[in-house]
Formats: sequence, structure tokens, C-alpha cells
Amino acid sequence: MIGVTRAFAASIRRSMVAVALAGTVVGGCASGDTGAAEVWDPLETPNRFIFSINRAVDVIAFRPLAVMYRDLVPERAQTGVRNVLDNLGEPVTAINEVFQGDPNRAATTMARFLVNSTIGVAGIFDVASSFGLERTKEDFGKTIGLWAGVEPENGGFYLMLPAYGPSNARDGTGLMMDYLVDPFRILTFNLAIDWDVWQIGRYGMNAVDYRSRTIFALDDLEKNSVDYYAALRSAYTQNRADQIREKREKTNARGELERRDNLALVR
Amino acid sequence: MPKLACRRVVLQFVAAAAMFIAVPMVGPAVAADPAQIVQNTAQQVIEIVKTKTGTDRQAAILGILQANFDMPAMARAALGTHWNQATEQERARFVKAVATAEAKAYSERFGQYGGQTLTIGKVTPRANGATIVDSRLNQTSGQPIKLEWEVRGDRITDVKVEGVSMVMTRRSDFNSYIQNHGGKVEPLVSELEARAAR
Repeated sequence: MIGVTRAFAASIRRSMVAVALAGTVVGGCASGDTGAAEVWDPLETPNRFIFSINRAVDVIAFRPLAVMYRDLVPERAQTGVRNVLDNLGEPVTAINEVFQGDPNRAATTMARFLVNSTIGVAGIFDVASSFGLERTKEDFGKTIGLWAGVEPENGGFYLMLPAYGPSNARDGTGLMMDYLVDPFRILTFNLAIDWDVWQIGRYGMNAVDYRSRTIFALDDLEKNSVDYYAALRSAYTQNRADQIREKREKTNARGELERRDNLALVR
Repeated sequence: MPKLACRRVVLQFVAAAAMFIAVPMVGPAVAADPAQIVQNTAQQVIEIVKTKTGTDRQAAILGILQANFDMPAMARAALGTHWNQATEQERARFVKAVATAEAKAYSERFGQYGGQTLTIGKVTPRANGATIVDSRLNQTSGQPIKLEWEVRGDRITDVKVEGVSMVMTRRSDFNSYIQNHGGKVEPLVSELEARAAR
């Protein structure tokens, strides 16, 4: 059973690397560098199809679950759950900060992880923040975006992932990279301690927690748009671009300012 | 390239001016301070959210949108290239419908006043004549929300929430709707009017 699972996972891993590389290559030569243009969405028809399925599942099951979680679970318990999940995500953030060329920040993140995992009782309490170690959240999509020589609005083709939601070539690749380098996934997998149960539990909780925090924004976007798919596509792309721009501004403030002015002229 | 070099010189001049005079310069024709405009708008909105509800609130918000925001320009930007093919009458109806829709959206969005405050941050004059005013909306619980305001002259022309521009999102939204409805502006205008009446 374990052997089969492992072989299966290995084959998935191999194929994912291939897709990841393909995604990066295609994403690298995407057109429309002005940033102000429409999001590149060559897969619009299949994307809309997946979006409609996602929405149906969301309306029937997922959103109600998230609403219940938000309204019925005590706030302190929610904070605790979020802290534990965030804590489990710190190693991936640290790895990304190394790749982003910021080893100092990575060290701070690891310090947070060590403090919260021990004094913070497996991450339930975010003691590190009260020590002045601020939390950051990085992913490989942002890391690619930081180094890619294109406008951050250009993340390659837009992609609607089943269950996960909006993404693009850049962020989808990043998602897979984060999954591959995640020490907790590797650890539970290699120790074969019911890794699927643990991982599914963790990803499931992450999803419920994240959805419960996006209820307001997504309801608002849906209610106030004439084409929800297009509005979400635009909002997602802009929000991610903003996160990447913030990273770029930290590393190269002047260059980014000039690029933005060029962009303003194009617009 | 000369255009680019020229822009850089202008930028340096503006930067130098800002450094010495410590007053953000926007352009010769503009006297209003963008940060002050944003601050005033936020103050007025908070006041409305505190005191008014329902249709009263919607009317008051619409008043602010029309007084402090450049609604015609925003509507035009949101329609993008389709603006040119719209008739004069369609344009007028569109601008009106968009203003009503936004007023409605904002009056519902805020709900009850929960002690939020707005802290104005960096003010950055841009080479294209607009000024970006960074700000944070502080909530009583949770992370502050990042708001950026684009100000041209004495009017606000765009608001970005966590990097998501109101005008750009509407533009994508409307553009997609128009493309899926035979490339005509009319169905969009009707849809917006129907929603406003709801």
C-alpha cells in the first residue's frame, strides 16, 4: 500500500517538475508587458468551466462551512488554528526568503518557527511576534515574480485551478515548488506516519481558514460585478502584482519607480 | 529617448523641490493638497457611516463620489476603448449608472462603523500628473488594510485596496461583459441600470 502510494507520488513529482518547467518557460515569454492590459487568458473556456464547478461546490458546501467556522468557532480557537497553520508554513517561507536573496529575513523566520514551536506550544501561540519577530508570508510564485524580468501583472497564462481557485503559470508553478520543498510534507511522507491523513487535515484546515477570511471580499466582488469571473481574474492578478511589487521595491526602489513611470506613460 | 531623459529631469526636479520646500508639487495649475483631499474624503465617509443608514447613506455617499471623485473620468477609464463607440446618450446613462452602482456598493460595504481610522502615508507625485497617496485603514482587530489613492487636480481618480484598483477591476469586468454580449455597450448599460433599480 505504502509502496504503491510512494511510487504514485514519485511519478506525480516527476510530471509536476516537467509541468513546472514548462510553465516557467511559457510564462517567461508571455506577451503584453504594459501591465495595464487585460490578463492573458488563453484557457478562458476551460477556466470558466472549472470556475463554474468550483463555484457550485463553494455555494453548496464550502462557503457554508467557512461561514459556520467563522461564526460558531470561538475567535481564540480560530486564532490558535491559524497560528498553528502559519507556523507549519514558516519553513517554506524561510526557504523562499533564501531564494529571494534575503538570508537575514529567512533567519528571522526560522527563529520565529523555533520560538513558536517550543514556547508557543506547537505554534498555537504567536509568542515570536511579541518578541518583535514580525511574521512574513512568502511563496515561490512571489520568488519567481521577484526575479522575472517582466511586469508583475504578467504571471503567464491565467489558470483556474480545481478547488484551489485563481492562479496563473507563475503562481501555479510556485504552488508546486512550495509543495515539493515543504519539510513537513517530506517528513510525514518519509516517516510514513499516515501522511495523507495529516496532510489532508492540514490542507483542509488551511482551506477552511482561508475561505473564512475571504468571505467578505469575495461576496462583495461577486455582488458588485457584472462578470464575476473577469472581475476576480483582474483582482487576483492585481493583488499578486502588488505583493511582488512590494518585494521589488525593497530590493530596487529606484528602478521600480522608473519602471512604474514608464508604465504610467504607456497607460 | 529624449522624451525619457526629459521625464527623468522633471522627476529629479520634482524630487529636489519636494526635498527643499517639503511641499509635494503636483503641477502648476493645482493648488489643493492631495493628502488633504484624501483625509477630508475619509473623514466625511466615516461621518456618514456613523450617522446614516439605508437610502440616506447611499445618497450621501453618492454626493461624496460626485464632489470628491472624478466620476466621469473614472467611468470613461472603466469603459476603456468601448467609450469611443458608445453614443453620447449611452455615455451619459453609463456614467450615471456607474455612480449609482458605486454609491450602492460603498454604502453596503461599510456596514456599521467599527472604529476604523485612516492613516495617511507617503505622497508620491507621478510623472503623468497624478499623485499617489498611500494610506492604511486601521481596524480594531486584525491587520490594517492598504489603501492607495490616485489624485489628479482636486479630484480622486482611483482607489486601490491591497493593490486592487477599483477602475482596473471594473474595466476588466465591463470589457468582458461587453465582449460576451456582442461587443455592444448597450447591454452593459441596461444591466447596470437594472441593478441600480433593484
